[in-house]
Amino acid sequence: MESLISNLVLGFGVALSFDNLIFALLGAFIGTAIGVLPGIGPVATISLLLPITFGMSPTTAIIMLAGIYYGAQYGGSTTAILLNLPGEVSSVVTVLEGYKMARKGRAGAALATAALASFFAGTVATIVVAGSGPLLTSVALSFGPADYFSLMFLGLVISAVLAQGSVIKGIGMVVLGVGLGLVGTDVQTGQQRFTFGVPELSDGIGFVAIAMGMFGIAEIILNLERPESRNVLTHKVGSLFLTREEFRRAIPSTIRGTALGTVLGILPGGGAALSSFGSYMMERKISKYRHEFGTGAIEGVAGPEAANNAAAQSSFIPLLTLGIPANAVMALMVGALIIQGIQPGPRMVEAQPDLFWGLICSMWVGNVMLLVINLPMIGMWVKLLEVPYRYLYPSILVFCAIGVYSLNNNVFDVYLTVVFGLFGYLCSKLKLEGAPLLIGFVLGPMMEEHLRRAMLLSRGDVMVFFERPISASMLAISFIALATMLLPGLRSKKNAALAEG
Amino acid sequence: MKINAKDVLAGLLLASFAIAGLWLNQDHTLGTARRMGPGYMPMLTFWLLLGIGGIVFLIGLFNGPDKLERWAMRELILVLAALGVFGLILEQAGLFVTLAVTIGISTLADNTHKPKGVIGLILFLLALCWWVFIRELDIRIELWPSFWR
Repeated sequence: MESLISNLVLGFGVALSFDNLIFALLGAFIGTAIGVLPGIGPVATISLLLPITFGMSPTTAIIMLAGIYYGAQYGGSTTAILLNLPGEVSSVVTVLEGYKMARKGRAGAALATAALASFFAGTVATIVVAGSGPLLTSVALSFGPADYFSLMFLGLVISAVLAQGSVIKGIGMVVLGVGLGLVGTDVQTGQQRFTFGVPELSDGIGFVAIAMGMFGIAEIILNLERPESRNVLTHKVGSLFLTREEFRRAIPSTIRGTALGTVLGILPGGGAALSSFGSYMMERKISKYRHEFGTGAIEGVAGPEAANNAAAQSSFIPLLTLGIPANAVMALMVGALIIQGIQPGPRMVEAQPDLFWGLICSMWVGNVMLLVINLPMIGMWVKLLEVPYRYLYPSILVFCAIGVYSLNNNVFDVYLTVVFGLFGYLCSKLKLEGAPLLIGFVLGPMMEEHLRRAMLLSRGDVMVFFERPISASMLAISFIALATMLLPGLRSKKNAALAEG
Repeated sequence: MKINAKDVLAGLLLASFAIAGLWLNQDHTLGTARRMGPGYMPMLTFWLLLGIGGIVFLIGLFNGPDKLERWAMRELILVLAALGVFGLILEQAGLFVTLAVTIGISTLADNTHKPKGVIGLILFLLALCWWVFIRELDIRIELWPSFWR
């Protein structure tokens, strides 16, 4: 307990330093902006901004990037409520009740509910991360290579199983990602693999090029082929204050949403979108006011908004304690840390206490900032929506281009981005998801290392993965997850659930 | 038989990556399970991928119909070309000219653009990129065409 307090003091010291405050604010600001704007999400933005974080200290860089992620959860709800248009995937369900509330003249109340519920969830999730981080870390330190391999295997399986659409295609994309991760110099023998003699590939395929191509460039093309449909706001925002009745009704949903989001966020492949959807389903089943759902029930705003923000923050837990990304955004964080020379994993708490505790405390600080950024300044964000996409996409494109080039001052990375832009477009036309590929790409090289080490230690005996209790249980869970999802009944239920969202 | 064209193609795509990977992997020593060589993990990965690609293909033969969607060729080519041209001419033409050309090409992808708006956009983005990348971030990049310097 005492050490927790001293750690938090250290963390707030870091988070409240001038530089970190400024960049947390910048991150929260950018996050809100891209959250408000449909057509550009946190994955694209973070990969876009990765190159410019190289000059910063690792802590500052991660604080800013994290701010973008949870800022986007706040911003996404604004467009959902006011325009019947989700700014982010995670606010898809907020549209259902939020827009109805807006049509009843309670837009202000819905916005306030979303912001306050998010803030509450953010605070709770911050405490959970701070409390469970060191605990999980000490467990993780007893992991052997075999356990790590199985843990990553589990992570990959779950991220494929929970991805949208077909499970088997999700698994295919994960494995393809692992394959792409093999390109480059083999760490143990120094042999070049799959490089075609191109010197630029000897360090592996650029992580930023993949992320920007598949999530930035491909998105632009997909958005361009869909005609724009943004009905500009017709009704007033109205009072931001909640009535006592609304406040009373929102509280239990917020608490339930927070709990659900925190748990789902930790799971690999979970993250914000799944949690907000889960929370909506739960509220519709168990809320006292479930008969009002569909007509603008405040529970349908408070629950999902709390859940997506809680999940956004708790998804940092596997990253910070085990070094395993739970979703595509966390995969980008791993990339950012590795570029900075930090290997994410259980040793980070001890080796980089500034980063660990600074990030945790900055999440809470960032949530306070977001409350201020979002509520009083709501008018400004609505104005932002008046910027048409035809001005937006060339800007995204040139930022991508300069960013990718400045990675190594080499145009090769720009060409690589073109290739992955094309590939990303192809994939989306074939309904192949990009997120599992990115996670596989990040985890692949680590898995190979642990696999080799584990097999060396066991003298080539595969049974090591089934004999160690931790490893065996991870594998058991993976196979159960796979088996249940491949059963047709459950799969159609999941698909129905996702389709409805 | 209801063919799901998307899944059939997706399966073929994954399988062809796998076959290419396995073929290229012949250059690498496999090693043994105990001492894995550089080719061991690729072998596992690509065989698995081949299997998955095959399953996706086979399932795709029956779980349709799901036709292929039209490709927005014009937008696709113009956006990718804008980015490609950026890479091609950047080192000779310098940042400002390159940006203007890139933005110019990319705006062709949306036919609601008007000439005035495009010029305004180019000027705005030139100023913004200069401020963000040159003044604030100080990245090493030539600003002017090579004959000018």
